Amino acid sequence: MSNIKYEKTADGVRLLCVNTGKFKTNFINIDLFVPLGEYLPAQYVLSTLLAHTSRDYPTFKSFNSKLESLYGASFESAIENYGDNVRLSFSLELPDDRFALYGETFSEQAVDFLTDILLRPLCDGEKFDENVSKREIRFTLEDLEAKKNDKRAYALSRLKQLMCSGEKYGIDSERLENEVKALTPEKLFEAYKNLLSTAQIAVTACGTLSEKMLREKMTAFAEKIENRNALELTSQFVTKADEIRYFDETMKMMNQAKLVIGFRSGMKNNTDNYYAYRIMTDIFGGGPYSRLFTNVREKMSLCYYCSARLVRQKGIIFVQSGIEKENYKKAVDEIFNQLNIIKNGDFTDEELEASKRALADAYRGVEDSPMGVCSYFASQCFAENAVSGEEEAQAFLRVTRDDVINCARKVTADSVYLLSGEENDE
Amino acid sequence: MNNNTVKEIKNELLNDSYYEIDHKSGLKIFVYPKENYSSAYAIFGTKYGSTDNCFKVGENGKYISVPEGIAHFLEHKLFESEERGAFERYAETGASANAYTSFDKTCYLFSCTGNFSASLEVLLDFVTSPYFTVETVKKEQGIIGQEIKMTNDEPGWASLFTLLKAMYKNHPVSIDIAGTVDSIGEISAELLYDCYNAFYNLNNMALVAAGNVNVDEVLAVADKILKSAEEKKIERKFEEEPLEVVSRYAEKHLDVARPLFAIGYKEDVSGGRRTLKQSTESEIMLDIIAGKTSALYEKMLDAGLINTLFNAEYFEGLGYGAHIFSGESENPEEVRRYIDEEILRLQTNGIDKDEFERIKKKHYGKFVMGFDDVDAVANYLINDYFNGDGLFDGLKVLESITADDINRRLRESVNVDNSSMSVIKAE
Repeated sequence: MSNIKYEKTADGVRLLCVNTGKFKTNFINIDLFVPLGEYLPAQYVLSTLLAHTSRDYPTFKSFNSKLESLYGASFESAIENYGDNVRLSFSLELPDDRFALYGETFSEQAVDFLTDILLRPLCDGEKFDENVSKREIRFTLEDLEAKKNDKRAYALSRLKQLMCSGEKYGIDSERLENEVKALTPEKLFEAYKNLLSTAQIAVTACGTLSEKMLREKMTAFAEKIENRNALELTSQFVTKADEIRYFDETMKMMNQAKLVIGFRSGMKNNTDNYYAYRIMTDIFGGGPYSRLFTNVREKMSLCYYCSARLVRQKGIIFVQSGIEKENYKKAVDEIFNQLNIIKNGDFTDEELEASKRALADAYRGVEDSPMGVCSYFASQCFAENAVSGEEEAQAFLRVTRDDVINCARKVTADSVYLLSGEENDE
Repeated sequence: MNNNTVKEIKNELLNDSYYEIDHKSGLKIFVYPKENYSSAYAIFGTKYGSTDNCFKVGENGKYISVPEGIAHFLEHKLFESEERGAFERYAETGASANAYTSFDKTCYLFSCTGNFSASLEVLLDFVTSPYFTVETVKKEQGIIGQEIKMTNDEPGWASLFTLLKAMYKNHPVSIDIAGTVDSIGEISAELLYDCYNAFYNLNNMALVAAGNVNVDEVLAVADKILKSAEEKKIERKFEEEPLEVVSRYAEKHLDVARPLFAIGYKEDVSGGRRTLKQSTESEIMLDIIAGKTSALYEKMLDAGLINTLFNAEYFEGLGYGAHIFSGESENPEEVRRYIDEEILRLQTNGIDKDEFERIKKKHYGKFVMGFDDVDAVANYLINDYFNGDGLFDGLKVLESITADDINRRLRESVNVDNSSMSVIKAE
């Protein structure tokens, strides 16, 4: 699948169609990217509002009945940070036409359904439907409030907010909730118009859908949007932390304390030594062969999980673990110690090879499901040329011991965050 | 048996086939090759899970009772050996490995794109080579203790087990799969060997390989590593479970944003394990009662009673069965009233035929879509085999189901007077 490239069909609209008869499913994904900004609260609501109703299917029942009649098509939407930007995704997965029970074709219809969701939402040209807006604002608020139910994810989001408070990336969750509460059907509509006109749009499809049909439909789709002016996306990379900041918060009725440490990797942009940084992070806390797993978990029995992850779009490394509160210092010291070992080059060639092999092996398999193909390539939609899983694997295999040590030496700890149960709780 | 027997099982519609092999060691092996795939996935499992807490082996054996959470503990411990642990060995092949324990099975798996045979050798070897000592058991108690504490903080998990405890008086399904910090403290190397020797017999196990694999390479590794095992009869003992739920309501306190609820309608399972047809009927039935296209779902959303996390599932295994509705609500009692009413209405009036046909079409599509992913295919295969079904059987079963079947199932398996509700809320 080499020489794969997103084709520009219109200003700020990219299309990639991976044609293959390998699967029983067709998958199509539309990503909208915009800089993080004032419309964020409305974008949270839009990510579900647009995915629950449309002008043609104004109720849950009619909307989902349509999906059921398309042979149980799965329709998903999501919103997530993409560095200092936001990514809204709308995707549709459905069986290939060859599985139709009555000889009909339905996948072209499904593509129309997907574009109509974005172009023909439930609004009157000035505002969204009053009741639907109210209901969707409630869903968004409940969803934001329920983030604290998942302690592991909540601790991570608190650290992100505290560590990146001076960057767009450090979203203030309380402010976000308050702004969602203040939204109106009119404001939602304004945000919707703004989203369509300013987003960088990437359409990725995999399966037997005809490329010609998709190109025509996506060109027509872009033409129907008024005032297209796609904004450039940028992300701030803070390459170094001057000192370590410590944060300690509590929550009621919590059994296990959650530890999160945020490091500045030293990456200057999302391609700066990326492969070496990934390998370094993997030796540190990737698979069960990693330093954090074998030492913090296996040798010291301090936790069930302790792992490290690199956020490519921000150049940040997060380490997460669940521990007993009294082991806090022991765990933090050991995590820093393991990083220092890598900085000093005191890791074995076997460790380096294990990480290279594991990452190369995983990337060689990314093109083995329709969703895998789409999400893998969508992550490269802004690259000049997309890289295949095999090419990515080769890049990992070229990383050397010196590359790893050089990257590790640029890593600085920024923030250490602990979330634990209140005193007197278990 | 001196030879391996290989049988091909085809499906015309999917244009796929897989091989069912009776290996001379006594192990059942399935190989599902997928053309043009780079990835391979293998799963090696035993029909042994958290509910197998009291059992005997052989006609003359004695029943033994073991501590809660021991099947899961055993899963963790098998990764270790006297010399090099499984993870260390996988690090040399590049495979990504894992394992899980459920109510009725324990499975060890890996996925890879290269070195498949070498990884399969690691898998078959470490699962068939137990090594437990006093020291390694003690070390694991710390790690699993943290895993238990982690799940105790998860409201969804707490909600399910609070519900199961309210529904089941004696059945071990209400026990947390990992056990408790106290119960795992009672686990010893000797008990681990007892459980291992009873359930990790190749005749009680299965191996599945899917994706970029073929029969010959799987058999070459199996022939090399596996030693013939004598079939042993395992008998599980469950205390008799009353038909009625233990209590109508139970609650637990955790710091959650809004209450989580789970409502379970306990089924009379005195007739034994449910068939694939009954389970499929239940899934269609739940879509009709409370799925995204049901009147009930939209009514509860509009009334502000639920949000889109609301979900319904059929929960079934040896000696237990329940239709469970779960979600978040400020007013769980009202949700329960709405669901009860809708069930009674449908039991009286019957289901809508058009709706039934549309939902059936959806299930057909979902079934077809399930065959693209090698992980999913391998897990379906092992699951279906342990349940006594074939992988492709679901399609024929689905075709055969009628609206009358759903109406009958709804009347026979759901009794609104025999339900429990669990609520997780802040104090």
